[in-house]
Amino acid sequence: HTSLPTFTAFTRPSYPERHTVSSDRDSPPLETLRVKCPAQGHDGSKWGLNLGLLVRGQAEAGPPSQSAPGWKLFGKVPLREGGQKDSRTIQQEYEARTGKLSPTAVPDGCPHGRRKNLEFQPLSTTALILEDRPANLPAKSSEEAQRHRQEYDEMVAEAKKRELKDARRKVKQMKERFRQEDIIANTMVVWNTEILPNWESMRNTRRARDLWWQGLPPNVRGRVWSLAVGNELNITPELYEIFLSRAKERWKSFSETGSEAEMASLADRESSLDLIKLDIARTFPSLFIFQKGGPYHDLLHSVLGAYTCYRPDVGYVQGMSFIAAVLILNLEEADAFIAFANLLNKPCQMAFFRVDHELMLKYFAAFEAFFEENLPRLCEHFRGYSLTPDLYLIDWIFTLYSKSLPLDVACRVWDVFCRDGEEFLFRTGLGILRLYEDVLLQMDFIHIAQFLTRLPEDMASENLFSCISSTQMVSGNRKWTQVRRALEKERRDVSRMLV
Amino acid sequence: PKITYNFLFKFLVIGSAGTGKSCLLHQFIENKFKQDSNHTIGVEFGSRVVNVGGKTVKLQIWDTAGQERFRSVTRSYYRGAAGALLVYDITSRETYNALTNWLTDARTLASPNIVIILCGNKKDLDADREVTFLEASRFAQENELMFLETSALTGENVEEAFLKCARTILNKIESGELDPERMGSGIQYGDASLRQLRQPRGSAAQTKQQCNC
Repeated sequence: HTSLPTFTAFTRPSYPERHTVSSDRDSPPLETLRVKCPAQGHDGSKWGLNLGLLVRGQAEAGPPSQSAPGWKLFGKVPLREGGQKDSRTIQQEYEARTGKLSPTAVPDGCPHGRRKNLEFQPLSTTALILEDRPANLPAKSSEEAQRHRQEYDEMVAEAKKRELKDARRKVKQMKERFRQEDIIANTMVVWNTEILPNWESMRNTRRARDLWWQGLPPNVRGRVWSLAVGNELNITPELYEIFLSRAKERWKSFSETGSEAEMASLADRESSLDLIKLDIARTFPSLFIFQKGGPYHDLLHSVLGAYTCYRPDVGYVQGMSFIAAVLILNLEEADAFIAFANLLNKPCQMAFFRVDHELMLKYFAAFEAFFEENLPRLCEHFRGYSLTPDLYLIDWIFTLYSKSLPLDVACRVWDVFCRDGEEFLFRTGLGILRLYEDVLLQMDFIHIAQFLTRLPEDMASENLFSCISSTQMVSGNRKWTQVRRALEKERRDVSRMLV
Repeated sequence: PKITYNFLFKFLVIGSAGTGKSCLLHQFIENKFKQDSNHTIGVEFGSRVVNVGGKTVKLQIWDTAGQERFRSVTRSYYRGAAGALLVYDITSRETYNALTNWLTDARTLASPNIVIILCGNKKDLDADREVTFLEASRFAQENELMFLETSALTGENVEEAFLKCARTILNKIESGELDPERMGSGIQYGDASLRQLRQPRGSAAQTKQQCNC
């Protein structure tokens, strides 16, 4: 008696803190698997037959229905009520006849070769193979019948083998998943009991940094981000409320006086209010939570609106909605705003969101220096096509990778970015290029450009992070900040010369 | 599958935010409407090989970000574009009013002979229309643009817009009005055997792009 032995053994309570953001894209959540597995193993010895091509027709048709045509297709044979056997019965009969197994219910086995009664209404492929033909058709020759049976047995064996392999793979996947969850649960405890309570003394320890690199557990992620980003701007939740109410007033007057003439006279700042609305709908659209009517729509609107009031000189710039959205997924509203404003206040982010093109070019040039140092062949390949880093870095840096990387991978990048700053953003970029170096070397301009602005959705964070860690941020003995400063000095010198 | 082509044209898609530039590109390449689309940051890319007047042309399409603020960035992508789709939204006068600015940029920064087709997108939303067909076609005429109203949703006129632009460029090449060998024309020969290119500089890059793909 074969049955799926192990699935129930793996059933255990799920962690309450499972977080939407960290859920894998490709593998179904654990709950789904648990529901599916028992159902699959539930009909005991027949599970091998119950899958795949052999009885699919029947499975789809639901319970064997009275009107199923069966052999009626061939005409002449009248349908008789209740005269149908399902494929399982037929198979049982067959097994009984051949003395294979079936401990129970051995039906009246008729000897081979004898014509069966006319009422018989076989169903599905199983019947076609195992049963004799109806009386109105020529009988199978015994060789043919023999061959059919043999082929049938082979198919069944094949299906069983496949099923077993599948089951083993699933078990392995589950084990791996549980292992991961255990790790997460354990690190969560360490973060909550050891590191977070002693933040200042612990944050730079080897132990904390190692755990940090491996990815923050989703339920401490927001807190660690907040602490790591800091609050240089000294924004309080009260201040956020003030800017939010100012934003709300502005929206109100905007929608009341939205006449064309007035709209034309309104500054760029105001039209960014309109753009926020447009872009919110286009931020992580596949998650369905920021779109109108979604649970986080108003939150995202509020954080972005408050920011345009807080920093009217910067205003809303496309890309911000992605950053705010990721923060909202991990932090409470006011904390999300505080982290948002402080993140954007970093020199690199300011350069980009003010769209200081000249300064951005300095960042790209610095990136290229490290690109050349780390991946000379690929760098040369890109240069051959005049494919400059801005073509892909703009998207990556403006959204802090949240648009181009799978969200769980992006969050891990954010983990270390919050700790190490801008350098890590560019290091990640090089990690991505390293990860796909072989593929990219085979591509031409347009394919590289397309590939890099739409990265593969199945990227595994482990692979990316091992590529990032083998990326050294040293160029000609100079570190990132040194290269950056040298380039900026160059810029200042040039502008002085121009004056 | 390797497809050889006779020419490669660099195309731009420009216009204000939310006019449907990326959706037009997606419709042109995938033949379907992009339901949950992101907004473009910087630039995204697409390419398709089309058949125009007996010639195989590979379109290399640069789909740019629409926000005014990104202008200084996107301007740097105009260089060497042979054609452009200038997109506005027929349900938004604001995006129509911005056309002059986009046009000035395109004419000054891309090749002076750039072929531009004006696309009044979201044709399917006729009930919310703020810009009439007549008004826009007058604008197109005054500025020597081709003009079509398109719908990235239904696909109406989308392929036509790209093809019309490509056909015009091809005609200009054949009439001698456009010289593909001039630097920054945005046109490259696709087949190395068709004609040897004179390459003043960056020749490595140019020959590489002649691969069949």
